[in-house]
Amino acid sequence: MILRPFEYVESKTVDDAVAALQGGGEDARVIAGGTALVPLMKHSVLRPSLLVSIARVPGSHAALVQERSPLLAYACSRVASPTVRSMGTLGGNLCYGESASDPSPALLALRASVRLHGPGGARIVPITEFFTGFYETALGEAEVLTGIDVPAMPAGARWRYLKWTPRAQEDKALVGLAAMLVLDGRRCRVARLAVGGVGASPAVLARAEQALEGQELDEATIARAADAAAGEVEPMADLQGSAEYRRDMLRVWVRRVVGDLAEGRVS
Amino acid sequence: MPVVALTVNERAVRVDVAGHWTLIQLLRDGLGLLGTKEGCGEGSCGACTVLVDGRLTRACLALAVRADGARVTTIEGVGADAALHPIQDAFVRHGAIQCGFCTPGLVITTKALLDEHPRPTDHEIREFLSGNFCRCGGYNLILAAVRAAAGLLTETR
Repeated sequence: MILRPFEYVESKTVDDAVAALQGGGEDARVIAGGTALVPLMKHSVLRPSLLVSIARVPGSHAALVQERSPLLAYACSRVASPTVRSMGTLGGNLCYGESASDPSPALLALRASVRLHGPGGARIVPITEFFTGFYETALGEAEVLTGIDVPAMPAGARWRYLKWTPRAQEDKALVGLAAMLVLDGRRCRVARLAVGGVGASPAVLARAEQALEGQELDEATIARAADAAAGEVEPMADLQGSAEYRRDMLRVWVRRVVGDLAEGRVS
Repeated sequence: MPVVALTVNERAVRVDVAGHWTLIQLLRDGLGLLGTKEGCGEGSCGACTVLVDGRLTRACLALAVRADGARVTTIEGVGADAALHPIQDAFVRHGAIQCGFCTPGLVITTKALLDEHPRPTDHEIREFLSGNFCRCGGYNLILAAVRAAAGLLTETR
């Protein structure tokens, strides 16, 4: 499969990239690893006349992710395959806006923020406001994602990222559930749940979180949270699974994951 | 037409490319290195896997112009006609090749695996090769070959 011709700019700084994007009009696209964009171009889903590369813009790499945010580190380790992971970038994964992204529910559960830089300057957007619809994000015209701020996980937090792929390891998540709980004995002080792959975009499971926080995590409470999760999503349907299957699997996995974490069966 | 200057299999080369070429076009059409195969063309199957600056790369997704200044290793740079690389030797001895189309990508990916983890567990091997599809379905033979190669490579070090 070959690509249609396009112009290509290698940016040295974020400002270079923003300027090139502004000059390139509305079909200009940012490229970093290219693992999402290039397949879309090959299938002519996108036909950008200009690609603005940010691959050589110096960036900061988070060496502390494994230590401070094992949930995020683990979710990233479940993306696609080793080769795709070695090419792709976390920023690109988010800007693609795909529901079945693995890092997105983790970052939602961790209440991260993204740094955006555009013609109007820099701004910080809570990740809970970043995903706006089916493959849509809050990224504005000529804006580039330049960083992700991730709060460190609280000491003693229990966490899991559950990637449910009914067919094979390298498939995308049909349910990608990120969970982080802070408990006092059996009482839940903090509940953070988010899911990808189910609705049109990755989303926080706010009603499920509310059903858990402040409660003793017994079987009935956990079941209520699972029902709340199943009730608050609007599942997609595709060849991987029907909407009802996604809803049912979300209910099952919220119950099992929260149950495991409550019992101390941590990852 | 852009000129890309890079090192391929330890040899410095300059290649004329079109701006919209991918790395696999540079390798196959620009340099005539036909060992790297294009399977799906969209980054799923792993047949086109090469190393760029030591990192696993899908040559069908990487842009050719991005390879300027890079060091690329393809299957032609692994082993020699007269003396197979231990990974290749293990694939042959264990029959981990049928049609052979996925083999270059698998050998390169296995090399990256064993460079990083000389003694991988079966789980690590399966996980690492999860993005390389073999349509002949010879996965158990491939697993056996990688295991054997790990033993061989460790012994020869």
